[in-house]
This record gives sequence, C-alpha cells and structure tokens, in this order.
Amino acid sequence: MGRFLSLVTAAAVAFLPLAAQAQSREVSGKVTMAGSGQPLPDVTVSIVGQQVGVRTNERGEYRFRVPSSEVVVLARQLGYKRQTIRLGPTENTANFVLEKDVLQLEGVTVTGQATTTDRKVAATAVATVAAAELNRVPARSIEGNLAGKVAGARMFENSGAPGGGAQIQIRGATSVLASGDPLYVVDGVIISNASISSGSSSVTRASGSTGSSQDQVVNRLADLNPNDVENIEVLKSAAATAIYGSRATNGVVVITTKRGKQGRASWNVVQRMGTQQAQRLLGHRTFANYDEVKPFVGGAYGDSVARAACGSGVCPAFDWQKELYGRTSPSWETLLSSAGGANNTRYFVSLNDRQESGIAINTGARRTGGRINLDQTIGTKLTVSAGLDVTRNFFQRGFGNNDNAGVSPIYSLAYNPAIIDLQQKDASGRYVQMPFYTSSTRPGFGTSNPFEVFNFADNTESVWRQAGNVRVGYTALSTSKNSVSLSLLSGVDRFQQEGFQYFPNYFQIEPSDGFLGTVNQVNASSLQMNQGANAVWTFTPGTKWFTSATTSVGGSYETQALNQYSVRGRGLLPTRKIALGATDIAITNQRTEFRDQSLYAQTQLLLLDEKLALNGGVRADRSSANGDREKYFTFPKVSGSYRLVRPLTDRIDEIKFRGAWGQSGNRPRWADRDILYADGGLIGGGGSLVSASQLGSTTVKPEVMNELEFGTDIALFGGRVGLEFSRYQRQIKDLLLTFPLAPSSGLGTQVINGGQLSVLGTEAVLSAVPFRSRGFEWTTRIIYNQNAQFTDSIPVPAFAVGGSFGAAYGRNRIQSGTRSTMIWGNAPLRPNATAGGPPTVADTILFDSNPIHTTTFNNDISYKRFTVSALVDWRNGGYVSNMTNNLWDEGGQSRDFNQAGKARYQTFNSGDIRPYIQNGSYVKIREVTLNYQAPDALARRIPGASSLRFNLSGRNLAIISKYWSFDPEFSNFGNSNFNRFIDLAPFPASRQFFFSVDVGF
Amino acid sequence: MTSFHSATPSSVKTPSTALRLAGALGAASLLAACSADRLNITNPNTPTVAAAAADPQALQLQATGLLRQLRGGRGGFMSSVGIFGRESYNYTPQEGRNTSGFLIGISGANRLDPAGFAVGNWAGQYGNLRDIFNLKTAAAASGALSAEQKSATQGFAKTLEGLELLYVISTRDSLGAIVEIKQNASDLAAFVSRDSVYKYILGTLDDGAANLAAGGAAFPFTMHAGFNGFNTPATFRLFNRAIAARAAAYYATSGGGATAWQRSLTALTASFMNTSATSRAQLDAGPAHVYSAATGDANNPLNAVTATDIYAHPSFTTDAQNKANGQPDDRLTSKIGARPTRNAPQGLGTPSSIGFNIYPALTSSIPIIRNEELLLLRAEALLATGDKAGALAIVNQIRVSSGGLAASTLTASSPDADLLTEILYNKRYSLMLEGHRWIDMRRYGRLNELPRDITTGVNAHFVARVQPIPQGECLVRVGKPAPIAGPGC
Repeated sequence: MGRFLSLVTAAAVAFLPLAAQAQSREVSGKVTMAGSGQPLPDVTVSIVGQQVGVRTNERGEYRFRVPSSEVVVLARQLGYKRQTIRLGPTENTANFVLEKDVLQLEGVTVTGQATTTDRKVAATAVATVAAAELNRVPARSIEGNLAGKVAGARMFENSGAPGGGAQIQIRGATSVLASGDPLYVVDGVIISNASISSGSSSVTRASGSTGSSQDQVVNRLADLNPNDVENIEVLKSAAATAIYGSRATNGVVVITTKRGKQGRASWNVVQRMGTQQAQRLLGHRTFANYDEVKPFVGGAYGDSVARAACGSGVCPAFDWQKELYGRTSPSWETLLSSAGGANNTRYFVSLNDRQESGIAINTGARRTGGRINLDQTIGTKLTVSAGLDVTRNFFQRGFGNNDNAGVSPIYSLAYNPAIIDLQQKDASGRYVQMPFYTSSTRPGFGTSNPFEVFNFADNTESVWRQAGNVRVGYTALSTSKNSVSLSLLSGVDRFQQEGFQYFPNYFQIEPSDGFLGTVNQVNASSLQMNQGANAVWTFTPGTKWFTSATTSVGGSYETQALNQYSVRGRGLLPTRKIALGATDIAITNQRTEFRDQSLYAQTQLLLLDEKLALNGGVRADRSSANGDREKYFTFPKVSGSYRLVRPLTDRIDEIKFRGAWGQSGNRPRWADRDILYADGGLIGGGGSLVSASQLGSTTVKPEVMNELEFGTDIALFGGRVGLEFSRYQRQIKDLLLTFPLAPSSGLGTQVINGGQLSVLGTEAVLSAVPFRSRGFEWTTRIIYNQNAQFTDSIPVPAFAVGGSFGAAYGRNRIQSGTRSTMIWGNAPLRPNATAGGPPTVADTILFDSNPIHTTTFNNDISYKRFTVSALVDWRNGGYVSNMTNNLWDEGGQSRDFNQAGKARYQTFNSGDIRPYIQNGSYVKIREVTLNYQAPDALARRIPGASSLRFNLSGRNLAIISKYWSFDPEFSNFGNSNFNRFIDLAPFPASRQFFFSVDVGF
Repeated sequence: MTSFHSATPSSVKTPSTALRLAGALGAASLLAACSADRLNITNPNTPTVAAAAADPQALQLQATGLLRQLRGGRGGFMSSVGIFGRESYNYTPQEGRNTSGFLIGISGANRLDPAGFAVGNWAGQYGNLRDIFNLKTAAAASGALSAEQKSATQGFAKTLEGLELLYVISTRDSLGAIVEIKQNASDLAAFVSRDSVYKYILGTLDDGAANLAAGGAAFPFTMHAGFNGFNTPATFRLFNRAIAARAAAYYATSGGGATAWQRSLTALTASFMNTSATSRAQLDAGPAHVYSAATGDANNPLNAVTATDIYAHPSFTTDAQNKANGQPDDRLTSKIGARPTRNAPQGLGTPSSIGFNIYPALTSSIPIIRNEELLLLRAEALLATGDKAGALAIVNQIRVSSGGLAASTLTASSPDADLLTEILYNKRYSLMLEGHRWIDMRRYGRLNELPRDITTGVNAHFVARVQPIPQGECLVRVGKPAPIAGPGC
C-alpha cells in the first residue's frame, strides 16, 4: 500500500464534512475584447487555483458561485491575455477586458496530472497547438495536423496510403529496443497508439505468414477525430514528462477535447468536399524499339508479347502508375457539433463522418464517430465530468511496401516494361496477366497485374473503438489564501481491430505457393484502463514576494491488455472467404498485458511578484514489466524560471530565463523479465519444453533519461515579436539491450540494461507580427529544430538495429562513440592488399539519416473577412535508403535508366550502395488555406444560422526535392526508433484539396 | 470505474451523502488498485521456468525436451561429420557454402572458418546441456519425486550429458571444450583440455550408471518408442554403458591408453551388446530417434525422399570389397543408390551420382547407438589389448552377417595395422553416415588417407582435423585470462 495514496484517500474522507457547511455567494460579469469591445464567448472564468470554472455565453456573460470570503477570479481564453480580479467578500461583479495574445505567451501549460501553470512562468519549453491552428487543413490523422507546428517534434507519414500511419518523434530516438512512441493522453486517459498489422503480408509475403511491420500499418492515433480537439500540448523535456514516469522518455502528448459551456445550445455544421491526386509518380522508361526492351521481357512468352507490341518501330508507352493511381473521386467530411449548458450541466457532443478516397481504385478510409463530453456541477464543491467517444474506422489501403509475391505495384512494376495495356480484359472479363518477369513460356507466378489485384482483392482493416473517462472533482477547501481540491479519474480505452485479405484462386500469383486462393483474418483487441487520484493544495498568501504555492500528491493504476490472433487459409474453394476447410491453415495468437502503479508528489512556487517560478517533484513507478515488480523506480524533476520585465529598454517587454532538469523512464518490453521455456515441439507424439534462446532478466528495469534543458523566451515591441530558444541535452542510460551469450552457455542472448544514448539539440521559435494595420494583419511563426544523436557507449558488441535489409541496403548501427542516426552500408573502403586490385567492400558509415535541421514557416494573413494561411516545411539533409529507386534500376524500368539508372545499378552491384543512399532534403507546402467569414447578414439568410464561413484548403500541395522517389519521409517498416529511412515501393503520396462550408446555429 | 458511476447521479439531493459515498468508493477502489499483487501477471503465451516447475507435467515435458534436442542435433552431426569424413556431400544448388565451408574452409589456409558454415555440433549440444542441467537441478529439488525416481532422473540426464559432450569433443578433439554449465548463463565457464573432457564424460556416465542402478523399476516419465527396450532404469543403463564404451574407446586413442581400452571392454560387457548377433535385427538393436509427419514433429533429415541435396562420396563404390559371387558388399548395395548426377555448386567440388538409401522414408528412425557399433568397438578394444584373434572373429562375424562377404584372409598373426584397416573398413560400411568415419580416421591418425576431390587451385580441398570453436564463443571471451579465453579460441 503506497503511503501517498493513503494520504490522498484519508484527505478525501477528512474534508468531506466541509462540503455541507460551506457558505457561498453568486458572482457575475461580462468579458469583452480590448479595443473593439466585442463580447467574448467561450472565455473560462474561475477562481484562481481551482479546476472548475464556467464559460461565458455568446454575449460574453458569466455567472457562478464562489465562497463568501475574498476570492481572486480569473478569466482566460487561449489566444487572449488572461486577467485576474480580486473580489472582496461583498463584491459580486467582475467585468473583464481581454487583450489579444498574438505571440501565444499566455495560456497554461500542463505541469502534472492535475496541475497547470501559466505559460508565461513555465520553466520548460512549451508547445501548444490550439484547435484553430490544428484543424486549418484536414489531415488523414492527427499527426498530419501537427506536422510542422511543434518545435522539437518531427512528424512523419509512413506512406501515402489513405487513413493514417504516421509517427511523431520528439527530440530524437531515446531507445533501441523499447518503445519509441510518445505517450498519448486524451482528457487524462492514456490511449493506445498501437501499430498492429492488418495482415497484408499474408499475400505480399513481405515477411512472416500473417503480418509484419512492413504492411503499411496504421497506428491507432488515426482513430482520434482532430475536430474534437480543443488543444494539444506536447511535453518534451524530462522535467515536463517526469510526472508521467516510466513511459515518458519519448515525450507526452496531452490532448484536451472540447467541452460544453453555460448558455444556449449552439450548433455547428461543417460540410467538406474534396479530392486528391498523386503528388508525383515515378514515371516509366520508354523503349525506342524491340531490341531495347528485349533484355527486360523475361522468357519466350514475354518475348512474344513484346515483339507483338513493338513490331518494327517504337514500342508503345503506357503510364501504368498514372492509370492505377489516377483516381480523383471525391472525399467527403461532415461534422456536426453542439455545445451548451443549463443549470449545473454542460455538454459537448459531436458527430463526424469522414470519407477519404484513395488515389487508386478500392482504396480509401472512412472514420465515423461521435463524442459526448458532460460536466455536471453538484452543489458548489463537487463536479463530475465524463466523456465518451465511439469511433468506427475503416480502411482500404491497397498494397504497398515490401513484397515477395509480385503484389505491391510499385515493387512489381519495377520489373516490367510498360509497353502493353494492362487494363485489357479477356473474353471472360479477367484482366490480362503480366507477361514479363518470368523465364517460362507462359505468364509467371512471381508477378501480377496490379489492376487485377486492386480490383478483385480484398484488403481491409476495420476498427471499433470506444474510449471513456469520468472525473470527479471536489473542492475540499476554498478560502482566499488556501484551496484544496481532490479529484478521482477513471478512464478506459478499448478497440477491436479486424484485418482481412482475400486473394481469389484465379490470381496470377496464386499457384506460386502451391495453394490456390488465400484468405487471412487478423484480430486484435485492446483494453486499456487507468485510474488516478489527486489532491492539489494551492496556497495564495497574496503577498508581493510570495504569490502562490501549488502542491499536489496523487497516484495512479494503469493497465494495458492486448490479445491478437490470426488465421490464414490457403487453398480455397472458389469464392470461399473463410479459412475453414482450406488446404493449409496457419494460426498465430499472442496476449500481452502491462500493469503499472504510480505515486507522485510535486510542488510549484511562484515568487517575487510572479517573476520567479520554482518547481520540484518526484514520481515513483512500479510495473509488471520490471524484473522486480515490487520496487518503485523514482523519476525526480526540478525546474525554475525568472522573468525580467522591461529590462534595459521599454522595447523589450520581457525576458525569461528557464532551466530544467528531470528524469523519465521507458518501461521494459513485454516478457523481457521472464525466464521462459520454448515449445520444443513433438517427438514420438509427446510435447516438450526446452529453454528459450533468449534469456529474460529478472532484474530488468526501465531505461532512464536524464535531461537538462535551458532556454530563454523573449517578448519585444509590445508583443509584436517573440523569440523562444531552447537547448537540451538528454542522456538515456540503462538501455534495454540484448547481450549475446556464449553459445556454450546453451542460450543465445540475454536481456540487459546498460549503455547510454544521448541527444543534443536546439529548438527556436520566432513569432512576429511583421505588419499590422487597420483590418490587415500578418503573423508569422518560424520553427527551427536541430539535434545530434549519439551512441555514447554500449556494453554489448556493436550491432545493426533490427528492421532493415542489411548492409547492402543501409541501416543504423549501434556502436559506441558514433552517431546513432548514421546510415551504415557497403562501400569500397580499404585498398586491396594486392596493388592495383579493386578496393575491398566494407560495411561502413555512409551518410546521416538525421536532417541538419528542419525549419517550418507558418504564415497567417488576415484582411477583413479573409484569412490566408500557409505552412511550408523545409528539411535540410537527412539521407534515405531509396530502395524504390534500386528496384526500378534493377528491373531496368527507371525513368532515367539510360541516363543514370544503369550506372547507379552497376555501382551498387560492385558493392557500393551509395547511389541509393540519397539526400532527402525537401521543401513541402504542407498546408494552404483560404478562409472567408461571411457577413452576419448573409449568414442569417440560412434559417436559424448565426455564422457562416467558407474555406478552401489544400494539404501536401507540392514537394520540391531532388529525391528520386515519392517522399523521403516514407518508411517501409512504419513507426520505428531507428531505420525509419527505408523507402521501398510505398503507396504513392497524394495532394488533397478541400472546400468547406461551416455554419453556426 | 463502475464505482464512480454509482456516485454521480445528478438527482442526488444530499451532497454530503453523495460525497461520502464517492469518497468511500473512490478510496476503496484505489486501495485495491495499489496492491503489488495486482502486478503479478503470468505470461499466457509461453511457460516461465518458474511456472513450469510447479506443473505436474513439467518433468515429462522436460525429459521429452532432452530427447527432442538430442534428435535435433543428430542430422547436423551426421551430415557435417559425413562431409569431413568423405562419406557425403550437401550439394544444395543455391548454397555453395554447404560445400566450401566443409571441404575448402578458408581458401589456401587449410582450416575451417570459425564464422563460417562448419561450426555446428556446438550451440545445439550446449543448448541441450543447459536443459540437462536444468532437469538435474529440478529433479534434485523436487518434492514430488521419490529417492529412486530422483536417482533414475539423474541417471537419465547424466547419460544424455555424456553423449552430448561426446559429440562436442569428438568434433573439437585437441581444441578442448567446455564441460560446465553455469547457473548464471552470463558467467563464462572455462575451457578444459581434451583429456579433462573425456575424463568428465566417463565420470558422468559412470555416475549416471550408478544412479540408474539405484533408480528403481521405472522412470517418473515415459520415453518415445525409439527407446523401447531401454525405457526402465535398468535397461536404460545398458544404453548408458554403450555410450560409455564408445567414449572410453575414443578416449583410449586420445591419450587414455590401455586403461581406457579396459574401461571400454568393461562397459561393453555391461551394455546391450549381443556378441552372437547375426541377423539384421540383432545388429540394429539399440535406441533410436523417431520421426513423424505430425504437425510440430520433424522428418528424418537424411531421408531418401526429400533430402535430395545429400549425395554420397563416389569412393564408397570404388572401395567396396566384393562378395564371393563378385557382387559388391551388401552394405554398399543396401545403403547406396543411384541418383541423377549433381555437380557441386559453383565448381566447388566434383560431381556425384550416388546417394544414401539408409533412411528410405520420411519417418525412418535414426539409431543413436546400435549393436553393430558395439561389436566393432569391441573388435577395436580387443586388437588394442592384444587379443587379435578375438578382434578378427568379430570382424569376420560382421563381414559375413552384415556385408555378405567371405571371412577375411587376415589371420591372428597378420600385422596390427592390417587388422585395424579391416576393422575401419567394416566400421565405414557398417556404420555408414552414422557419424563415425571422420572421427575414426582421426583417432588412428589416418586422415591423410581420406580422398580429396580437388587438390589444386583456390578451390583445393583439405581434410579438416577438427571443427573450429564458433566465433560467437570466442568473441565473448576476448580479453579474458587463459582457461576462459582458450585454448580453442
């Protein structure tokens, strides 16, 4: 039994009697915008130090009950500078006038499970993205909405397939084997971002029999509707994430959804319509005559087809990719939301239906969901908040990435000259078979016609997800100087993912494995729950030198369970789509479960007229994943900031210096602690147990990151220019590694903790209002990221990181004293011992996959009722293993084969892979949007409407890059800590356009 | 979570009651949530060693695991030792290293590559030795087993321990080996000399025999059908003594001398040796590995049906003696058959057009040790201890009953070397592809008599004397002092 939890619960019971005895009074007022005097709706008004507040209605008015003693009332809204008013025991009115906060210096930032602090005094670098900025342009999944908007966080889309599949990496890779994913927390509930293959390997045979990381896997963040999000805060440094303990080295993404407000119910309807087109395709090689194409036609059958196609002249040229990826079918999105509140109840409800069409036939994604957030105040001291989110997500992502069957189009087309029409059908209505890439006298089994595959194969992923949370908040004590609030939180996140593939028996590739017809079903069910209790004591003495002290204690209990199974059947009766009765049946099944307990305590002090902020805290975690399940691992943090207000000259509004140090952890993997037997198989009908080759560690513990961060935030020229600068150094110790044991021990490897990675990086944000005059305003924000990642030491022999294709194609290697992001691979290095001989090929450092820097440019220009925004993303450097290019050169079909491809491939074949390790620098126009706010008069023409907005926007409009393939961001292996630079025949990138109408009622 | 729902209806009229209820339920659920017992989850996918120890089936599954792993190493041992001994080839068309790794080694260096293909008969054997160690430990600590059952289990484990180590030392010979399994797998055990390894093997087998003798009427587990006739402590002891006889004979030619020969003869007497065997069944008597086509089981790795890359060395045909009727040795005609001619991949060797019919079916059993070997071991021992007439009698018994040949023209006054040659001829044909030829030729210093298919150029073949210690074994020992770091590394 943890002492902290006892304290919390004892306190909860002790304070209960106070509830009935407290006296209260009603306070009301109005909130308006400085300058224009327009009323401000949706402003949160609360007593300082309390979680609970009310929101102003559309006329800017509010009304709520406060204790009868002296109170300090606070009004705040993201985008405006906050204001506080001190009310004596007899005062009942507080009117606020809020100023616009262009530089985002206002707002609050998360400091703990139940505490926040003002952004202006925050002691760590803060990155918050509010709803308006987040949802400027619709994206496949919320990672896309965040891309380029958070300093220190890099977002990558893994492929161009519809529906999602993306990675957020915050301040570099922190682990080799353990999780590389940030922790995602939605309304206090830790949600799953699992990446589970839906099984396309069963037909592409990329790896494994029923699923692999190469299957264009969607990570489950894709189930979250970005339109429900009020704001996202990204906690980066260990000092900020320490409070999340042993799952926090990769950062914490705190997502808050919209909530209801007091007052008349408002309705909002948004209808979007859009389309998409391939951003850029690879092109096909053209052939001048039969002789030129002859080496690439395969055997006698292909030869006869090529001869017939080319005749005696120029071979016909088809753009197969343009035909296959040329679909521009409309995409739709409908959003309906309502918010309101009466008496003590407030609600927010939303429904959304998003249908994204893919650029190839039978590809697309559809997310349908609804959310209800309720807040109920009971008396003056108790609030109950609850949220429920139900989503159905359905994907048809086609086929892409690695392939060993001839299914993934970008892979298989690389070996086939585009000189025939693949959309021809024979008399029975079947597509022509791919005639090339085989040495026989008939079409081979190692390749296929992608038009047949995309038209007649099934490859779907269907997800049902339910997430809910309940928070009970209780104000145990509220006086002018002291307030104590208690809260209990309980949350659940559950999803069921079903993957399905079906290849009918007549497909060209089907005979290759000896079984006609393939069906595969993948099922994953995940259940995560967390419960927590917090007590927060805010002490506000009200003196000039001691503003406030906020102390909180709490604890949590979290569980994550996952059950996966799959059934593959091969050799099917015609049209039968179940595994039952198949000639060959393969089954997989695995269950995992984690359970974690934590206790924490922290305090934050605001001193010297709010100039000095000091924070300290510690979290203690224990987990079922650790070797010692009873032992608590502690993660301390300390941080501080000091503000200089108008130093030197009035032109400098404020300079803040901040410093932070903290620790966070990364939990061991499932079963790393277990000393396991392996299934030894049968002999003479009897089963057997033998020692597993990998030996678990009974002392395995979390990886620990120490991070030191220094920074300064400067505001200049009366809020016109802001500069944030942060420098961080992170050292990750006790890495989870596998140590090769002596073979004579009888075992293969052992899990150990040891070694150290480090990251040294810089983030800078420049925000400015370069131009502002009557009705016209231009705001700009430039975000700069740079880091260097090192393997300082490892207590095991240097090793290549798993999830790659080996030295002939480039991969990361973990070796003491090297940069961990370096791409290692074969190149002629050492001179041959014999003079004049060819140089010896060695596996050596070639290029850095880590960009020199990434810089994004956000610009908003508003003029009267028009707003134009653009987000441009510049990645400078960062090399990519372009295996797509390698395939097309090897197949002799690259668009520049004669000019360069042939030479590239020859160099590669001589053991030098450098032609395919290519610079991934790019400039991307990620988002452009044009917004028009119609006059109220026009809006009112729609019965009942109060506002009307039109919007035209585009995402991924253009990429400027010398990169040979589609997009240097793409990753064949999906989300991974390392080796996420391998581009292998992905689903092509697309640009998306939307037109939307937004009506408020 | 459910506890909170009941506390939060909006119709609650008396806040204090609601608050108390909420507080009490919240406190109760959190108190329950923070017990450390909650974190004790058992792995549902694979048994942990700790969890299996408590299972009544564990002993049976572990014992079967030992026999399963023993079988797992058998195909690789026979195949690799067969290539070294110029009995067989592995002519996988797309994998030349199955040829070059064994017959050429590091080109021009006359040694095998410690990071190459010919490093087997090491990790697999030690894998089983780890499980043997675990079984010994578990049996000793068991509260469920009687003293006799514990003794029987120890005897079973020690017999297999001796056999697995014999596979290791017979392929590493003068390099020595490691005999100790440390409880903590990351602790490095020392290399010991060949002499020490043989002494350890013989001591362990003798201990095992004593344990089996005190093992009562039955094992506390069952064995597969390959051990029919050897599945009680008393009959398993016959198998133990047979292995001891082989080990002692190997030791005798590796420094053990006359004492070891005597030990071998003693062990043979206590084994299942049948000196009057004449029929095929009598000669073949002995425990064997069984195979099955069931899912989860394995096929015979050297079967004539699917192991089509395994070819036989042409010298079998040319070296076979003829019967009185002019036809070749029955052992050649019954074990060797014609195959489509296969060239060595990438010109790394010479073609062969014969293969083995020893294991005709996917499920044919492979002997672990059988009477015919015991008889020939006895012939070796008798010759070495001066009983040439006795040795010759056995040779002739085998020639006639196994090969269909006439009795040898040698007499008790023929030179020792000629008698040895005749014994080795019979071992070669009687125990074809059972893992003996290369080891026997080395034991008697006759490796140079083995044929080399290619004698010049970069692909010149050589006859390996020992298999190298695998690189992985040496890498973890770099920088460590003497007995840990070598001598084999």
